[in-house]
Amino acid sequence: MIGQAIGGRQAVIMHYASLAVLALITLMPIWVMVSTGFKNDVLVQQKEPVWFFFVPTLGNYEYIMTRGNFDVYLWNSIIVGTLSTFFTLLFGGFCAYALARTEFRGRVLVANSTLLVRMVPPAVLAVPAFAMVVNFGLNNDLAVLTFFYTALNLPFAIWLLFGFFKQIPVELEEAAIIDGATPLQVYFRVLLPLMKSGYAVAGIFTFRIAWNEFILALLLTGRKTRTLPVGASGFITDTGVEWGRIMAMGTLIVIPPLIFTFFAARQIIAGMTAGAVKG
Amino acid sequence: MHGVKLSGVTKAFGATNVIPMMDLHFDEGEFVVIVGPSGCGKSTTLRMIAGLEPVSGGQIFIGGKDVTWAPPKERDIAMVFQSYALYPHMNVAGNMSFALRLAGRPKDEVANRVRKAAELLELTEYLDRRPRDLSGGQRQRVAMGRAIVRDAYCFLFDEPLSNLDAKLRSTMRTELAILHKRLKRTMIYVTHDQIEAMTMADRIVIMDKGIIQQVGTPRAVYNSPDNRFVAGFIGSPSMNFLEAELAGSDELRVCGKGFDIPLSPKLRAATERNSSREVAIGLRPEHFSIKGAGGSQSSLFAPINLTVDVAEYIGSSQFLAARIGDQPITASIEVGPDSAPLESGEYLFDTNRMYLFNRKTGAAIA
Repeated sequence: MIGQAIGGRQAVIMHYASLAVLALITLMPIWVMVSTGFKNDVLVQQKEPVWFFFVPTLGNYEYIMTRGNFDVYLWNSIIVGTLSTFFTLLFGGFCAYALARTEFRGRVLVANSTLLVRMVPPAVLAVPAFAMVVNFGLNNDLAVLTFFYTALNLPFAIWLLFGFFKQIPVELEEAAIIDGATPLQVYFRVLLPLMKSGYAVAGIFTFRIAWNEFILALLLTGRKTRTLPVGASGFITDTGVEWGRIMAMGTLIVIPPLIFTFFAARQIIAGMTAGAVKG
Repeated sequence: MHGVKLSGVTKAFGATNVIPMMDLHFDEGEFVVIVGPSGCGKSTTLRMIAGLEPVSGGQIFIGGKDVTWAPPKERDIAMVFQSYALYPHMNVAGNMSFALRLAGRPKDEVANRVRKAAELLELTEYLDRRPRDLSGGQRQRVAMGRAIVRDAYCFLFDEPLSNLDAKLRSTMRTELAILHKRLKRTMIYVTHDQIEAMTMADRIVIMDKGIIQQVGTPRAVYNSPDNRFVAGFIGSPSMNFLEAELAGSDELRVCGKGFDIPLSPKLRAATERNSSREVAIGLRPEHFSIKGAGGSQSSLFAPINLTVDVAEYIGSSQFLAARIGDQPITASIEVGPDSAPLESGEYLFDTNRMYLFNRKTGAAIA
C-alpha cells in the first residue's frame, strides 16, 4: 500500500514536471517576444541576453503607433481575417452539409481528399497566384487576399465540419421537415445552433491562418493594403533588423486572435446534441 | 369517410424491391398498427405516407387529397420518431411550438395550444427544460406533444416506444390509447412488437417482406390467421408448428412423429376441400392443459405426450420447453402458484383451437 502510494505520488510529480517542461518550451518564445518589445536597442543588441531584469521602455510601441501605418495594417488584417473566416464558414458549411447528407459513390473519398489540397503550402501557390493576380490587375486589393484565404481555408473547414454534420442525427432534419421547415430553415434554425462548436473550431483555425499568413499577403498587397505580418516585416531594413519594434508589433499582432479565440471557444460546449435522440 | 389511402404503391431502392405492390386503406379516426419483423417495409410505408420517402409507383391520398408528390408540410400530418428527434437547443415549449412558429401563427394562439398540449401530457412544469434534462419517458411525451399541437389530420408513429423500459412502455401504451380516444384522429403506428399491436389497434396490418399478410382486428388476426406467418407472429409466446400428415378416411386425423390427433368437425370439413395431405399443425402454447383440469374431459380435448426439458415457474402458470416426438414446442400451462414443476407425460390439447396450414404454401386450411 505504502509503496503504491509513493509510486502514485512519484507519477504525479513526473506528470507535472513534464507538463512544466512542455509549458516552458511553449512559453519561452512568447516571453522572448514580449520582453524584447520592451527593450531598447542597446539591450536588444547586447551579446549576453538579458532575460528578466531590465528597465522596460515603451519606445518601440510609441514608434509603431505614431510613425508607422499600424492603424491601416490592423484594419486591413481585421477586414481580411473576419471576411475570409465568414465566407469560409458559410460556404464550407454548405459544402460539408451537402457532402454529409447526399449519397453518392466516393463521397467519403471526396470529403477526405479535400484535406490533400490543404497540404499544399501557400508558398508553392505564391508565384502562380501572384502572376494571375497581376495579369488581371487585381493586386493591392483586399478582396483578392480575402478570396485566396477563403480558398486556402475551405478544404480544412469542409473536412472538419463534415465530421460535425455526420454526428447530427438525420431524424432531427426529418422532424423539422415534417414541422414544415424549408431546407434553409432546417439549416439555419435546427442545424446551425447544433453546429456552434464545429463552427467555433473551424473559425478559430481559419481566422488564425488568415491573420498570420505572410507570403501571399506580401506578394498580393501594396502600401495601403498591407496586413500586420507584412507590416512587421517592414522593420527589416537595409541598415539592420529592428528587433525591438518587430517584437513589439508581434506582441500586438497576437492580441486580436487571442480575443477571437476566447469568444469562439465559449461556443465549444461538449454534448450540445445530448438529449436529441434516444434516452 | 376519407382517411388515408395507399393505392398500388410500390417502392424500390435501386434493384431491391422493398414493397412490390400495396393497397391499404385507413379509415378516418382509426388507430391502425402496422406490425412485422425488422426489414419488412413497415417503416418505409410510414415514411412514404409522411412524404419523407418518395414512392416508386402508385398513389397516396390523405383526407381525400392526392398527396403522392406533395412535400410533408402539405400533407397535414404529424409524426413521432423512434428516437424522439427533439431539437436539443430548444426547451420543451420551443420544441412543441416550432411547427406553429414556422407557420407564422399568432403568439397567443401558439402559447395557448402549447399550454393545452402540455396539460394533456402532464408536461406543464417542464416547459422551460431542455431535452437533455428530461427522462426518457418525458422526452417521449414531448415528442408526442410536438405532434399534438399541430392538430394534424393524421398522426404517424414510428416505433415510438421501443427506447423505453418495459414498465414505462406499458404505461405509455395506455396513455396513447387514451390520447387516441380524446383526439379521435387517424393514427398509423408502426412497431415490431405484436403486444403493442394487439393492445392498441383498432385494426392490425401484418407485413412480411414488403407484402401485407393480413389486415384485421386484433381478435380476427389472433383467432383466424390467414397464414402460417401471421399465426407465428401474433401471440406470445408464439404458436408451435408441427410437421404432420393427414391420415384416415372415415375419421380424419393428423399424424406425425409422436402424436396422432383427431380433427375437430370444423377442421374436418375444411380439409375435405384441401387436396394436399402434407400439413403443418399450429398449436398455441396457451391451449395446452394438464389432465383432470376442469372441463378438459370433453371429446374435443386430445391427449398428447410431452417430453418436458425445462419447466419455468412464473406464478400462476408454468412455461414448458418441451418436445413432441423430436419436434420442440413451448407450452404455457395454468396450474396455480403452489404446483410442483411439471414433468413429462400426457397433457391435453384443445383440438377446437388447432390450426392447419398447407406445408408448401403456408396458407391456412382452417
